Amino acid sequence: MKTAQDVKVNNVVLIDGSPWLVQKAEYTKSGRNSAIMKMKLKNLLTGSTTETVYKFDDKMEQVNLDQVDVTYSYKSDDMYVFMDGEYNQYELSAEDIESVIPYIVDGMTDECKAVFFQGKVISVDLPTTIVRQIDYAEGSARGDTSGKVMKRAKLSNGTELKVADFCEVGDWIEIDTRTGDYKSRAKAPV
Amino acid sequence: MKTWDIYCSAIDNFGDVGVSWRLARQLAHEFELDVRLFVDDPQVLEILCPEVSPSLPIQRVAGVQVIRWGAGLEVAPAAVVIETFGCQLPDTLISAMAAREPASLWINLEYLSAESWIEDCHGLPSPQIIGPEKRFYFPGFTEKTGGLLREKALLLKRQQFTQMDRLHFLRQLGVNPSPGSVLVSIFTYENESIVSWLETLRRDERRFHLLVPTGRISKNIQRWLGVEALAHGETHSRDQLTIQAIPFVRQEDYDLLLWSCDLNLVRGEDSFVRAQWAGKPFLWHIYPQGENVHLKKLAAFLRHYLDGVGVEAAVATERFWGDWNRQNSLQESWTAWQKHWPDLERNAEQWCSQLARQPSLAESLARFAQSWYKSRAEITPPF
Repeated sequence: MKTAQDVKVNNVVLIDGSPWLVQKAEYTKSGRNSAIMKMKLKNLLTGSTTETVYKFDDKMEQVNLDQVDVTYSYKSDDMYVFMDGEYNQYELSAEDIESVIPYIVDGMTDECKAVFFQGKVISVDLPTTIVRQIDYAEGSARGDTSGKVMKRAKLSNGTELKVADFCEVGDWIEIDTRTGDYKSRAKAPV
Repeated sequence: MKTWDIYCSAIDNFGDVGVSWRLARQLAHEFELDVRLFVDDPQVLEILCPEVSPSLPIQRVAGVQVIRWGAGLEVAPAAVVIETFGCQLPDTLISAMAAREPASLWINLEYLSAESWIEDCHGLPSPQIIGPEKRFYFPGFTEKTGGLLREKALLLKRQQFTQMDRLHFLRQLGVNPSPGSVLVSIFTYENESIVSWLETLRRDERRFHLLVPTGRISKNIQRWLGVEALAHGETHSRDQLTIQAIPFVRQEDYDLLLWSCDLNLVRGEDSFVRAQWAGKPFLWHIYPQGENVHLKKLAAFLRHYLDGVGVEAAVATERFWGDWNRQNSLQESWTAWQKHWPDLERNAEQWCSQLARQPSLAESLARFAQSWYKSRAEITPPF
């Protein structure tokens, strides 16, 4: 049993006997030091989605799911294909991996986790930190090397984020996948 | 769906009970619903409504059945059950709500806020491990929210409140304001910044007459006056400033007090809403929260409230309200704020009219419950 505020994206909770994947979970302070959790849930049996809201301390029943190491392979039509070490392929829809899509680029080698419920793959988790290359960046303010001044940039897949002002097109950067925030400049992956 | 239960836990102050009691009365009077109010501290309710006897476990007051809510209380749940401000209902009751035929509609009535996320969360389901379908209901200032508590005849009564009525009401409180003085009601939390304000008022060109019901700000004022206590009816004068302690008025009379004053200092939720219906300039002392969350909520309200005001008046209001809620000195911001008085008065009235175009919270709740029961008869919701 978890409280609603401890439920994270990609957790699965049981409601009325059905497993629901948490696709979004937003914590907001309401009144008098209380808080609510707004969640987008997907029914893993029917595929239907719904938005819900909870008190931060509401009890929720979490389901533990099997996980397998996978890497991104390719996109086929609307499906994203991941592969495990034994060359088994797993197809997921854009909705299944909504939080992962901003970081999917061709040729990515990040070790991801495929998540299963009753033998069926339902989502993929990225590592907490990934390295990506800047495809576009705004101009820099002259001389700032502090990393405190931020500017807009884009990855090769069009994902926008803010990076340190000294970053340039072609630079590799570390990104925190939990928040989507730029962490630091990085070396090019080998 | 004629039977409604409202559960209320008095956490601190009067807000929880005040809102619950007002809602209960309005649902009973205007929608002819059979309303029961379960309150864990009837003594707080007695202050708002002296007819309530805290020693009685069950009593009928103003068309509402008031029940003392304590451990072990077992009742058959109503068609609609409202838990106010996230108060915790016992599991036995929740199970009984689910077992009821048809199951109760379970509504969590949330705190009032002007932030935009309210609109996204209003009316959403909250499927629980046990219990019937539960929905979150958010009061608010826009049409995408549940609205604000407003009795059907409230604004008409205000319109019909004459100068004679005002003087009569004030006389009942023992208040005789001198002609031309600015009458101010003060119902706020503790606040050190009131000292700088009182110092400024005593040197103002105009006369100010402050009415202070017994409450949390009293001690700050006592310290400034250098007195041990503020006894009801007692008047203290310092140059242009007169401070008078008045008794805590019952809920219905609080509106009359707000209408009678030129400026109202209010707090929390219920008095804050009533000040808006009074159509007079006011200052809101928002409930202080950790990490200064309340300042974001204050700014969110001001974005709505100041939408129709000139830039200078808007900036002056943000500064004055901000200084009060940050407990800064009010000397400069008050002086700047009161220069915009005509604008502030006009805006207060316009804002009141704008809000009055929306359904009241009680009305929207009644409609919500009605359409929920209707849809339930036709389709099975996802939860």
